[in-house]
Amino acid sequence: MNLIEALEILRQAVPEDAHPLRVFLACGFTPLHLETFLAAHLRKRMLQERIEVKTGLFGDLAGSIERLQTSGCDVLAVVIEWQDLDPRLGIRSLGGWRTTDLPDIVKSANQAVSRLEQALRRGASSIPICVCMPTLPLPPLFTTPTRQAGDYELQLRQLVASFAASISNESSIRVLNSQPLDELSPPHARLDVPSELMAGFPYKLPHASAIAGLLAALIQNPTPKKGLITDLDDTLWAGILGEVGTEGISWDLDKHTHMHGLYQQFLGSLASAGVLIAVASKNDRVLVAEAFERRDMILSKENVYPFEVHWSRKSESAQRILKTWNIGPEAVVFIDDSPMEVAEVKAAFPEMECIAFPHNDYQAIWDLLKRMRDLFGKNIISEEDSIRLKSIRGAGALREARDVSGDSSDDFLQSAEASIRFTFGKQATDSRAFELLNKTNQFNLNGKRLSDAAWKTYLNDPATFLMTASYEDKFGPLGKIAVLLGRIQGKAIRIDSWVMSCRAFSRRVEHQSLKQLFQKFDAEEIYFDYKATPRNGPLQEFFTGLLGAPPITDLRFSRAAFSGRSPSLFHRVEEVVNG
Amino acid sequence: MDEVESRLIRCFSSVFPDLTAEQIRAVSVESVPAWDSLAAVTLVAVLQEEFGLQINLIDLPELVSFAGVQNYVRKHKSAS
Repeated sequence: MNLIEALEILRQAVPEDAHPLRVFLACGFTPLHLETFLAAHLRKRMLQERIEVKTGLFGDLAGSIERLQTSGCDVLAVVIEWQDLDPRLGIRSLGGWRTTDLPDIVKSANQAVSRLEQALRRGASSIPICVCMPTLPLPPLFTTPTRQAGDYELQLRQLVASFAASISNESSIRVLNSQPLDELSPPHARLDVPSELMAGFPYKLPHASAIAGLLAALIQNPTPKKGLITDLDDTLWAGILGEVGTEGISWDLDKHTHMHGLYQQFLGSLASAGVLIAVASKNDRVLVAEAFERRDMILSKENVYPFEVHWSRKSESAQRILKTWNIGPEAVVFIDDSPMEVAEVKAAFPEMECIAFPHNDYQAIWDLLKRMRDLFGKNIISEEDSIRLKSIRGAGALREARDVSGDSSDDFLQSAEASIRFTFGKQATDSRAFELLNKTNQFNLNGKRLSDAAWKTYLNDPATFLMTASYEDKFGPLGKIAVLLGRIQGKAIRIDSWVMSCRAFSRRVEHQSLKQLFQKFDAEEIYFDYKATPRNGPLQEFFTGLLGAPPITDLRFSRAAFSGRSPSLFHRVEEVVNG
Repeated sequence: MDEVESRLIRCFSSVFPDLTAEQIRAVSVESVPAWDSLAAVTLVAVLQEEFGLQINLIDLPELVSFAGVQNYVRKHKSAS
């Protein structure tokens, strides 16, 4: 994007009902075109938002962050340059580059980093923060020739790297990766000396646009994909299994098929991070099972569920896989070496990301792996990520058991040996609870979504509470599956948000949740901020079952009415209080 | 209107979106309150990008009207 395009994008009309996204851009230099580019890149990515970029005082980066009124913005974007650590590391200062100054520069940079880190950690308790570490070349102030890295220069680089690693552990802080920035903006073409000296803006325009584009992506933080459906022949391995047999397929250096091994390794990495992996292959089931028994197979069969191996259409396989996973096509990537199969699945599921696996093109496979990391990458690997596949297998086992027993009666639920752990504690860092609130549609009290900032503001209110529920039965753990936000008002409880994962349906977790609330807070009544949405049918059915009639707004239950209508509950219940 | 003039009008229009093409042709620092130092720096950046010029900021006094900018761009574009 060039500047004229950015200015033109910002002139375009914003929908009247656009939700505002207020971004505070903190940088030590005059933000000028960086502000323009950031607003334009955000606008381009988030068409339904009204983007507002505000800036603070120039020349005092840490002070700007410290003074920031976080209630007035949704996201903080911080762009650090070397001169923010010590003005002598920029070119506008004439504070001295003598050899005797160098230790003092490193010392003051350490102090500046400490102050910045404190300010960022404080800010991160209220709003999400995206940080860009120094991108400009260091000036030639060191005594070594520029081709040689000297002690002080390396100390400064180490300081910044340690700083970045340290703050990246905060769940609310996202640090911009320098590697894609290097690819977009070569280091030698970043510093604009005349502009820095005459206007206080140190970036060449393409560099400003590159930083702004990556920051906008970091701010938008798209929801990662959840599942990957892969083909086998000439994709997971090289060769056609039905033609060359189990020993004829390969993924190694000797047969020049190593990129398929890298692809397998990559899928193993995704699986370990909680991504669901399934196979959709037109193949012989027995042969495929034998292939996965090969000792040198990189991707374990334990990481794959389900296997759809037959001669029917791939779109039918994809349909069954989505049903098993219980997720929508928009959350899934389909990969196949046949452009025809890719087109067939894409036609059936337009929302699904369908990608052709490159044929004998190592560089293209490498690029594919990078693209997939962007599609599946996530900030934090949660406990739920580690048990997702197990819980889906468990749900499959439960369905099968029900099919065998023929009903969903009390007897069956009693025999499930279920336990629920209710946790009360307002942990703003509970990313799973936040994620559930913002992605659950079917069992959702009112469809309301919360921004990161609104989530933290809600939890900081002393009158509110957060209850989460984790479920496990003999078929396996489901992890954290329900989130409830509410407030206590005397003998009444007001529920503002309530969501439950569809994985936990038909287990009476919702009934046990309300029972728990009545008991925990000794409440006589629960009020619900209920609203029917096009997708919360399961929640409406739950209320209809309890009320004997479809729910209306301003919904409430008395303790007595609930007790009289709640079915038998067989869970073992545990309560945990955090904080 | 030749190609340079139409590209110049696009540049000015991106910085001063409220002006029509006709108004832009007659525009100057005195006639447009929005032409402040920030707008001047933005206009220079847009011109550099659009015409591949390296405009020295000490040349800013020449760039105080559409006519002045047009002269400057034509002179330096042909020189580059």
